[in-house]
Amino acid sequence: MSEPILRLDGIRKIYRKGMLDRTPTFQLQADLVFEQSAIVGVVGPNGAGKTTLFEMITGSNTPSAGKVMVAGADIHRVRYGERDRLAIHYHQSYQVRSFRRILPSFMLDRSPTRQPILHLFDEPQFNTQDGYIGFMLDFFRRLRAEGKLVFVCLHPTARYHLEILNEIGESFLLVHGGRAERKGSFAELVHDPRVEAYLGHEMTAAAHAL
Amino acid sequence: MSALEARQVHVRFGDRVVLEEMNFSVAPGELHGIMGPNGAGKTTFFNVLTGRVRPSRGHVLVDGKDVTGLPPHRIAALGVARSFQIMTLFDEFSALENVALARPAFRAQALHGHRAAIGDPEADAAARLVLDEVGLGSKAHVLARDLSYGERRALEIAVALAQEPRVLCLDEPTSGLGSDGIARIAEMVRRLKGRLAIVAIEHDMEFLFGLADRISVVHWGQVIAHGRPDELKANPWVRRSNLGRFG
Repeated sequence: MSEPILRLDGIRKIYRKGMLDRTPTFQLQADLVFEQSAIVGVVGPNGAGKTTLFEMITGSNTPSAGKVMVAGADIHRVRYGERDRLAIHYHQSYQVRSFRRILPSFMLDRSPTRQPILHLFDEPQFNTQDGYIGFMLDFFRRLRAEGKLVFVCLHPTARYHLEILNEIGESFLLVHGGRAERKGSFAELVHDPRVEAYLGHEMTAAAHAL
Repeated sequence: MSALEARQVHVRFGDRVVLEEMNFSVAPGELHGIMGPNGAGKTTFFNVLTGRVRPSRGHVLVDGKDVTGLPPHRIAALGVARSFQIMTLFDEFSALENVALARPAFRAQALHGHRAAIGDPEADAAARLVLDEVGLGSKAHVLARDLSYGERRALEIAVALAQEPRVLCLDEPTSGLGSDGIARIAEMVRRLKGRLAIVAIEHDMEFLFGLADRISVVHWGQVIAHGRPDELKANPWVRRSNLGRFG
């Protein structure tokens, strides 16, 4: 495929206090390109905007500015019922977001792909006791081998979370301080002072030891 | 040909992925186990297989015939029976009556209105055979509400079996049971195995890995891993877990 799987083109998201008080309460910006299939580990503190980023990528949350291009298509211009043929967001939340239907479907584009090319896993529950981790990691690898781009968002609270990130992540995305930025390796990620501060002393030591 | 098959089944509620690209099949005489964490979509998948939920996309086939969108009673008539996670027995009826009511012969007679099947010697004998099969032969005249929890679970399976299915779908047959109860259900399923196709959703891994010919691991509404029990157990993270204890 000549088009990159994902291009975040000048993406900005701003939430403000209200209609009158325009003080921003949340800001996130991202300019990123993911050319090919890969497994990308996504980390960042709670509230930094990981889920908001995923929602913008799957077309369920409209950015304040910029474009999300998936397989060459602007996903926010694709028919609501076909956006899951491009990108799919797996989340645990019981809150169901509906696509905001601004335009009638016939005015929107068809999805260029039949099966999603981008799979976003939002804080999947990993439990070392039940044995599912092995199946989940193999599944991420299978998707990658099938040419898909896989994002795995993980909030590391235990040592084995770091092991998982180190084992499957080919590159990383750090969502922190209003920006989403790429990290080329696990070592680069866990030696970033902001990540060290977020992980805390003990987890940082464990991460450096891997 | 598969006795029951799902091809690329999708179910969506809003932007929530309930089933994504679910592929599954069970051959005649095969026991295909389904395992997966809570909320993975297992029960919704059973609801699609048995016609209670219509998929957004994809197909369900019984003996190669497309049954997508048929109502539950039509799919049941083709030989697909299921048990439920939540039991659905007639509490005021005896074990024997619960089974007799589910038999196709009774349902046909009720439609024609000839005679009541309950108390009919021939129907009773057939229902008794089913009760013997699940180990409830001695409890035929006990009211369903007076049976123990484990016996009620066995009766639930007897009700499904009474429909003389070719495919039996069991939704967590051992849930809530202690080790004796699980052993009893396992023994019953072992006796049934080979005679009809069985699909079993199960959380008890010892049960599943001991009985299944194949296992599908369902997560995020799709099959994330699939294989024989020994193949699935080879994964290093699986060996690190409680699952690694078996075998």
